Amino acid sequence: MNPELLRFTETHEWIGADDGGLYVVGISDHAQHELGDVTYVDLPRPGARLEQGAKAAEVESVKAASDIYAPVAGVVAAVNAELDAATELVNQEPYGAGWFFKLQDVDPASLESLMTHDQYKAFCGE
Amino acid sequence: MRQTPLFNAYARHGARVVDFHGWALPVQFRGIVEEHLHTRRAAGVFDCSHMGEFMVRGAEAIAALDRLVIGNLTALKTGRCRYTALLNADAGIIDDCVALRLSQEEMYFVTNAGPLEEVSALLAARVPGVEDQSAATAKIDVQGPRSREILLSLGLQAAAPLAYWSGVRTEWRGVPLVVTRAGYTGELGYELYVPADAGEAVWDAVLAAEGTMPCGLGARDTLRSEMAYPLNGDDLDPSRTPLETAMDRFIAWETEFPGKARLLHQRDAGDYERLTPVKSLDRRAPRAGFEVFDGADRAGTVTSGTFGPSLGCGVGLAYLSPAAAVPGKRLTAGPRALEIEVCEAPVYREGTCRVKITG
Repeated sequence: MNPELLRFTETHEWIGADDGGLYVVGISDHAQHELGDVTYVDLPRPGARLEQGAKAAEVESVKAASDIYAPVAGVVAAVNAELDAATELVNQEPYGAGWFFKLQDVDPASLESLMTHDQYKAFCGE
Repeated sequence: MRQTPLFNAYARHGARVVDFHGWALPVQFRGIVEEHLHTRRAAGVFDCSHMGEFMVRGAEAIAALDRLVIGNLTALKTGRCRYTALLNADAGIIDDCVALRLSQEEMYFVTNAGPLEEVSALLAARVPGVEDQSAATAKIDVQGPRSREILLSLGLQAAAPLAYWSGVRTEWRGVPLVVTRAGYTGELGYELYVPADAGEAVWDAVLAAEGTMPCGLGARDTLRSEMAYPLNGDDLDPSRTPLETAMDRFIAWETEFPGKARLLHQRDAGDYERLTPVKSLDRRAPRAGFEVFDGADRAGTVTSGTFGPSLGCGVGLAYLSPAAAVPGKRLTAGPRALEIEVCEAPVYREGTCRVKITG
């Protein structure tokens, strides 16, 4: 996905609508860079209802484990099963094949409170 | 932060620099997993210049050093290295160290960065004439199954005959250096101790050789974790004794050392927690600080843990009760009850460090 069109959280998740009307969530290029080699991803259960800011997933790198939070409220519609066997996708394609999960039942207006790519880059000091 | 003599070379290799015990050191260059795997199959090059080096000269000074450590350094043969530890009066480990007998009259003593000030002061007070060469020395580790052929291709012939845990003083391209066949990765490897002002030239020369890759502290940590080698400051500190850190075979009970009475008492009682390798059953890692449980019973604490790239699972070290420290035993660790298994050291079994050199 084009990061210019995504919204970002202060906890380094991104979210954006896909062609099928679902909202895809992943972690930013800045986040994968800071984490280093990702070695394990624990994804939410499809069907789970997540509140905005709720813990949604867990990611481990060689160095540490980190929690991933829901950028907005929604219901988990799908998870990226590829990450079970190929965690390196998070490092290689954070805005593409390294996505984490997709949400449905999202209020589009809830994305407005999140940062744009330019705002996020400024937030990261880039 | 302090910088090693090789600091200016890091940027040429795209290093990510972190604070390690007050030193600005590279945690990674291209990536921890890539550097780790490259070291296991070819040769990784590590800057370890933050470590301490001391020269101890004369029988009296060597005997004085011997009285501070758990090993028998007086009996150490010329050309041999010995892993040992400096103890406080309570048998707590001030530092784990390596001694190399360079000659009958000279002992080279290598220590860690964390406790360096305390160790330097201790040695200055107790070992007559000890020379602290730490600031004047760059230490470059070349580690991996291809390390020997690479050093020979660069003309470092003195490395050729070295057996595991031995070392020699030599000269290479006009630079005086000490080379040991040792390291902390589990692979065939060498440590080069060179004058600080020659460090960058040696670093560049080694990295110009085909098959080498600069490696950071991150890969050094995953490599040592897979071998169950303890890390000073994380897995051992003055609150732990050499029995607790499983250094039994490095204790020369026939010699005198600080805290010996307490250590004898601990040995006879036998009911102490023991530093024990563990691995997880999937890619999640046990992490430092995780409490360990045997069913509902508290069994110990993880002191370091990481993903092991060559093992494909988490690996770490934990202080475990004698009842729990049984190889093959299943335990749980951390807030999410990560399932772990007690292992024998080394956890990674394919390391080339002990390979015999013939011909």
